[in-house]
Amino acid sequence: MAKGENTGGNREDQMVVFQLAEQTYGIDIASVYEIIRMEKITRVPRTPHFVEGVINLRGKIIPVIDLCKRFNLPLAERTGASRIIVVDVAGNTIGMIVDAVSEVLRVPLDSIEPPPPMIHGIESAYLKGIAILDSKLVILLNLEKILYEHEKNELQEFGLETA
Amino acid sequence: MFSDEEVSVFLDELEEKIQVLNENILVLEREGGNQEALQEIFRAAHTIKGSSAVMGYDKMASLTHEIENLLDQLRKGLLPVSGPLVDTLFAALDTLQTLRDEIVGKGVSVDIEQVVAKLREWQEAGPAPASTGAPGAAPGQLNPSAVTSAGMLEEVDEEVIRDAEIKGYQAYWVAVEIDPGCRMKSVRAFLVFETLQQVGEVIKSEPPAEDIQEGRFDTGFRVVLLTREDPDRVRSLLMTVSEVSGVDVTRIKLAEQYPPGKAVPGLREEKAGQAARAEHAEVKTIQTVRVDVQKLDTLMNLVGELVIDRTRLNRFAEIFEERFGAGSGDLVETMNEIASHLGQVAGDLQEQIMKARMLPVAQVFNRFPRMVRDLAQKLGKEVDFIVEGHETELDRNVIEVIGDPLIHLIRNALDHGIEPPEERARLGKARAGVLKLKASYMENHIIITVQDDGRGMDPARLRAKAVEKGLLDREAAERMSDPEALNLIFMPGFSTVTEVSDLSGRGVGMDIVRNHIEQIGGVVEVVSTPGVGTVFTVKLPLTLAIIRALMVELGDEQFAFPLTNVLETISVKPGEIKKVKHNEVILVRGRVLPLVRLSDIFEREDDGDKERLFVVVLGVGEKKIGVIVDKLLGELEIVIKSLGDYLGKVPCLSGATILGDGQVALIVDVRSLVKEIGVEETVYAAG
Repeated sequence: MAKGENTGGNREDQMVVFQLAEQTYGIDIASVYEIIRMEKITRVPRTPHFVEGVINLRGKIIPVIDLCKRFNLPLAERTGASRIIVVDVAGNTIGMIVDAVSEVLRVPLDSIEPPPPMIHGIESAYLKGIAILDSKLVILLNLEKILYEHEKNELQEFGLETA
Repeated sequence: MFSDEEVSVFLDELEEKIQVLNENILVLEREGGNQEALQEIFRAAHTIKGSSAVMGYDKMASLTHEIENLLDQLRKGLLPVSGPLVDTLFAALDTLQTLRDEIVGKGVSVDIEQVVAKLREWQEAGPAPASTGAPGAAPGQLNPSAVTSAGMLEEVDEEVIRDAEIKGYQAYWVAVEIDPGCRMKSVRAFLVFETLQQVGEVIKSEPPAEDIQEGRFDTGFRVVLLTREDPDRVRSLLMTVSEVSGVDVTRIKLAEQYPPGKAVPGLREEKAGQAARAEHAEVKTIQTVRVDVQKLDTLMNLVGELVIDRTRLNRFAEIFEERFGAGSGDLVETMNEIASHLGQVAGDLQEQIMKARMLPVAQVFNRFPRMVRDLAQKLGKEVDFIVEGHETELDRNVIEVIGDPLIHLIRNALDHGIEPPEERARLGKARAGVLKLKASYMENHIIITVQDDGRGMDPARLRAKAVEKGLLDREAAERMSDPEALNLIFMPGFSTVTEVSDLSGRGVGMDIVRNHIEQIGGVVEVVSTPGVGTVFTVKLPLTLAIIRALMVELGDEQFAFPLTNVLETISVKPGEIKKVKHNEVILVRGRVLPLVRLSDIFEREDDGDKERLFVVVLGVGEKKIGVIVDKLLGELEIVIKSLGDYLGKVPCLSGATILGDGQVALIVDVRSLVKEIGVEETVYAAG
């Protein structure tokens, strides 16, 4: 029902929408650098459990995390539809494995509602809100919080043993 | 206001000039009124004065103005160079440095009044004995057979000479002596000028030209001549003028302007005979641009990618040939040609960019003479500080890291190594100790040695100390060879001096020095003879960006061990592995070598029994361990890439590299690996 144009002068965000454990999520397109197919990931030992490893992105080494593991969601089989969404958050380029990328949606800001305290096992702190578009529920993620908060502690714990 | 970039250029230049001042004031202290040094100091101070005034740093401008005034008197010989005067100059220089810090925002507001007052005091003390020995004011003493033709050049003159040099002219001091019995000096002088004007241009004369042409000179005069003629021809032409009894033509060699660290030591003037040979080198001026280091780093990364693509192209060509084979003979050949040319260009590019990142160690070394002077003064020691090989170049990353460890080694040598003058005299040594800092190349490494002829270190005392400090039990200490005992100084918590001096004992020990050096893939060794002296040898890689590594396989993944840490590789049967407590060890040539499995360290599944195991023997300092891997793949030159800020420092890994097929291989941080399994070390010692 609600298309971006209908809302007249109202502002809207563009979201990259993807699937993760049967649910639909969205992130702000501005933070997405590119979307690539799954490739061989070199595992990096002794990093937090959700860090899958590193890949070579045209000569640059970037870490790849598994969002399912991050939220302790049931792990899906990697398929031909699996993708790595490369995002740029707070100066770091990071890859995120998702089950599939479906589309880019325009989300009018007034259709975004505050998140419930917990949805599909994800705490509200990691969410920007939820939007209902074409009767689909899209969970909008707060990448900065997801990538840096709490993990930051975990990353530091792991990294403590510097010389 | 000025842009950040302008300010940063100014600061860079300031730093450079302060360094020049430092060096040359030291020369001044050592050699008295060395004109060349004075000239350098004057020029540097003048530059700072000019640019700081433009930038609106008034305090700096007025301070350098006072310095310049004082220098001018020194230059003119109105004031002798003395110890206290040099101290004042150094004090002024330190103030200049703090003013710089103030601009950077590091320091509090600086008061320059005191130093300025001191500088003025000297100036007032100056002109009184004006009659005594002003060089250049007494051309009458000219004696062409001795090399006295060198005179003073003003900055403007140097500018003119530089311009002329670019156009292919050479500048000479021409000293002419007229027969003392000559009655028509003015006429002879006029003829000399006439002759010179035929072959070139006179841009300066001492005394001034009018005086000379009116005969107001003693028996000789000298001029600066710009000419393209051979100096010998100039001389013979002048000798044809009657009553000219002697001519001396000396080539003027201006001090190189850039880079300051490379200035040819010693002579700025050369005898004419040698000039012809050096000519080609002289005319060439070095042209430089300042480049942001980041840009160089980015370039280096891009080249790294190019190298990887080249490898991929090679592989692709192979596959292409296999698939389409003979049918496309020409195509394959062309492609191979392209690939190999690309490879060559990429290789050259890599080398050139590497070179662009290199800096002479002078960058670091130049700070030391002043430091040594101040320290020696403080400690009441006499020392000859010799620096060799400051033109040796190495990667700027290495340069940045190497400063602190070297400072520490030098301080130690001065503080603990070299004895006080009286003690040295008693021992029959020269009062002044010799401290030598030397850089040189050896294969793909640079070697820096810090050598003193002081009291040296006694292995027996070091052993006793280590036992006393509880770092070692008595038996272990006694088993140690002398060289091993010397290495005790690198142990954390070991310091040979009981009372902590404010110089060497500032909380950092030799273990930190070794840490710093090893962090950049270097090695430090010590050799010492009691009573004779100590030599520290630091071996460093030329660059940190590219290393040679031993590639190994574990499961289906590759890992890289930096070759600097790999001592050897051995192959063992599983039966040879023994268990000591819970740890695996093997015997290698009679010594116990603790073992770890790479699969354990990196949480990989171990695919069980094999007939033979491959062990990479790694060494850090005196510690050795063996790492069991699945397969040895051989050596490879790899470009080190960081794992990025997000992962931060991962234990036992120092980064990653991209292989020819685009895959990522992890680089093992041998130091932290050895440290981590340090528990086994006790086993090693007990076994």
